[in-house]
Amino acid sequence: MASLIPSANASGTGSMTLAGPSTNSNQTVNIPDVTGTMMVSGNMPAFSAYASSSQSVSSATPTKVTLGTEIFDTNNNFASSTFTPTVAGYYQINGLIRGTGTTVTVVYVAIFKNGSAYRRGTQIATTLVGSTQVSVTDIIYMNGSTDYLELYGFVSATSGSTFEFNDAASTSVFSGCLVRAA
Amino acid sequence: MTLYDKIKTLYPELTERDFMTVITLQNDSDGKGDYIAKWEHPTLPKPTQEQLA
Repeated sequence: MASLIPSANASGTGSMTLAGPSTNSNQTVNIPDVTGTMMVSGNMPAFSAYASSSQSVSSATPTKVTLGTEIFDTNNNFASSTFTPTVAGYYQINGLIRGTGTTVTVVYVAIFKNGSAYRRGTQIATTLVGSTQVSVTDIIYMNGSTDYLELYGFVSATSGSTFEFNDAASTSVFSGCLVRAA
Repeated sequence: MTLYDKIKTLYPELTERDFMTVITLQNDSDGKGDYIAKWEHPTLPKPTQEQLA
């Protein structure tokens, strides 16, 4: 028969409480047969933010997307359009931009990790007049202290290169969440 | 005139592909403007500040 051994933290003075259900029903929690850190909402950061206005950029110049409006930021890890999680682990990260300009020839979006291009997403090379939307997604390990992520976009056009905002909060978006602890 | 425009004026032979491979311009949206993050063109030297002024 398995045993349950409570182990007090040598440095902390807080207590741990196992709370019963608030109904008359019995509930069972099965602990996996592995060693690891139990993840609960308090240590699983998630964020989502979008550009709340259009952003003029120079042609053929990867530019950090300014994401001025947070939809949610559960652990206060998103600031200045930068995600710096304080919990180490593997994060699902998503980015989306809409590039526009006069005779757009190339648009791409990339996730930057610690100031350098880490993953480039969709790249559209075409000659068009109008807008084109591209996305990037990846699972990225973050150390929970110094690692940070940013979203960069690239629009090459004869003039008027812009990350377009079309009043729908859906055209330039950066989001992510912890999917597995370190 | 943007940094890209200045470089294209200086080196008209540069292609769009060059700016996605051997040359990287960048803007970190920190108010400091565009800058050359990487210049690894096999034949053309990196422009000087005087040339870009």
